[in-house]
Amino acid sequence: MYRYDEFDAALVRERIAEFSDQVDRRSSGALTEDEFKPLRLMNGVYLQLHAYMLRVAVPYGVISSRQMRRLAHVARTYDKGYGHFTTRTNIQFNWPALQDLPAILSDLAEVEMHAIQTSGNCIRNVTTDVFAGVAADEIEDPRPWCEIVRQWSTIHPEFSFLPRKFKIAIVGAPKDRAAVRTHDVGLQIVRGEDGQTAFRVFVGGGQGRLPHIAQEIAPAVPGQSLLAYLTAILRAYNLLGRRDNIHKARIKILVAAIGIDAFRDEVERQFAILRQEDLRIPDEELARIQAYFTPPPFADLPATSPAYDAARRLNPEFARFTRSNLREHKQAGYGAVIVSLKPIGGVPGDITAAQMDVVADLAARFSFHEVRASYEQNLVLPHVRLEDVHAVWSRLREAGLATANADLATDIIACPGLDYCSLANARSIPVAQALSHQLADAALLEKLGPVRINISGCINACGHHHVGHIGVLGVDRKGEEYYQITVGGSPDEQAALGEIVGRSLPAEEVAPAIARALDRYLEIRNDGELFIDTVRRLGADPFRTAIYELTDAAA
Amino acid sequence: MKLLTANRLNDGRVIYLGEADAAVEAIDAARILDADAAEAALTLAQSRPAVFVNPYLIEVEDRAPSGRDRLKERIRSVGPTVGHSLDFAARNETP
Ligand code: HEM
Ligand code: SF4
Repeated sequence: MYRYDEFDAALVRERIAEFSDQVDRRSSGALTEDEFKPLRLMNGVYLQLHAYMLRVAVPYGVISSRQMRRLAHVARTYDKGYGHFTTRTNIQFNWPALQDLPAILSDLAEVEMHAIQTSGNCIRNVTTDVFAGVAADEIEDPRPWCEIVRQWSTIHPEFSFLPRKFKIAIVGAPKDRAAVRTHDVGLQIVRGEDGQTAFRVFVGGGQGRLPHIAQEIAPAVPGQSLLAYLTAILRAYNLLGRRDNIHKARIKILVAAIGIDAFRDEVERQFAILRQEDLRIPDEELARIQAYFTPPPFADLPATSPAYDAARRLNPEFARFTRSNLREHKQAGYGAVIVSLKPIGGVPGDITAAQMDVVADLAARFSFHEVRASYEQNLVLPHVRLEDVHAVWSRLREAGLATANADLATDIIACPGLDYCSLANARSIPVAQALSHQLADAALLEKLGPVRINISGCINACGHHHVGHIGVLGVDRKGEEYYQITVGGSPDEQAALGEIVGRSLPAEEVAPAIARALDRYLEIRNDGELFIDTVRRLGADPFRTAIYELTDAAA
Repeated sequence: MKLLTANRLNDGRVIYLGEADAAVEAIDAARILDADAAEAALTLAQSRPAVFVNPYLIEVEDRAPSGRDRLKERIRSVGPTVGHSLDFAARNETP
């Protein structure tokens, strides 16, 4: 993985010194909250309902075992013993004291982590496919490109005060496992006509209050020109984007307002007048960065492992885990193990310090010291020998990290909601928990197959509800928690926003209503048809009927 | 009736204005304020920014939050209703 050079290390150190001074001045009263707020936000510090909250960047979701141990140390020493992985593959600590923040950031800097640009109207943490460098359908590993974009965008003076925050995601395969079309800019690696790396570029996606699916602006921007093209997009946005109304300031609003063609014209105009030579990525630099992401020293293994096959035959529970939580690896004899942060009745994305240590140990022993964070709020051990999967599973199971539900109905994405968040209308976590209990039966889960259920506590959509196959949005009705349900959203290469099925429901009715919708799916699906495909074939109506069945009968 | 609440500067925790103008953590120890006292309390809290961050008034009946934001205020007063912070409290540790 990427290692800091002296510039990175110096930059992070200087920022901590600066922030440390700001914290001191805030503590002494020399800075007011209004003065301090923009400064703390530049360092990932929010003030939430119960405490300060620190958001730590996990660049493109890649974590070493050493970093994971350090996160455990932070959770244990400065927090209440846990952290929360978010849909932007960052980790949030919910309880740090103001005076501890510089120490936390110093501890993190020692393992090359920071909280810069995890908040504010700048280019945020770049996200990618959690199976980067693993998936067989990959044209090219997107991580070196993520790193290039990260370096270019970090403390970029021109793009530090954008009209609004800016999120970029990159995938290296035609299958979109990073929801790129929900981002301000989504990049998909393709082969250009010359056979070289190029990028299909999508622009103007975003969730939140006025959700939009990104539109294609360019089919194949050559890799060398990527930074120039991104610069042109950001210049066009910086110039034309609205700054008068925070709800209309995202690039999605601009693209929707003037149309993709007019926006493309403006980007091309900007592109033409850029000093392209300054932004061209030199071949040596690309090669230097790519070298950080060369595959680990895999052993030459046969494609199958008799020990693994025998363990699957002997242990149905293990076999089930491998069906749901093990993904194919392009290297023969290896697999990628999904560590579920969605135990039945748990808090989606939460992980205790002890669990972090377990994951760190397993990564060190079995996965070349590497862990990944997925936007679905799970972790992945990306390179595990098939013959080791059983040992990994046993240890995960003891630690409560082996729920066999990756991409299944209880693999729920949920934001912190009103239990933590000062912007929330309603709680998200208890609804996720109720649903998870309702659908806990492992055989049922497998029968249902992949279903993405996403929950947000308000319209900001941190829980991706718009693009859940089933989405749940907390709304406030005269001080009571209600939930609006959507059906038919999709985050992937067939991205779509869900359709609101009808009036919102009180908390206790949400899980049973969704369970009825899933039962209906089992009745009406064609052989082998996935939930989302049944919705695409038949529309939302059958599910609407199921969702309101009992409530209508009672009314 | 009203209470004055804020987040505490040094650790962000929820606090209330209690007796003798002390900042207290327990909503049960908060001072109940009538309209005049509420305005005075707000001015007082604003004049002590080293303790009270973003002070504001909430409506209560018998110290139970009762306004439109009653659920949010109830959660603020007791902490998250679910999750690991409860285990932490049960272990009775301090952060
Ligand atoms: C301190 C707590 C948080 C605050 C104050 C917050 C605030 C916001 C706001 C205001 C938006 C809407 C932006 C817009 O529409 O322009 C947003 C969007 C979003 N947030 Fe959060 N958020 C918080 C926590 C989280 C968490 C925990 C996650 C992940 C679980 C997350 C991930 C996202 C994502 C994915 C979006 C939607 C993508 C987009 O902006 O288009 N945020 N957040
Ligand atoms: S969706 Fe709303 S409630 Fe949930 S974390 Fe984001 S801002 Fe808070």
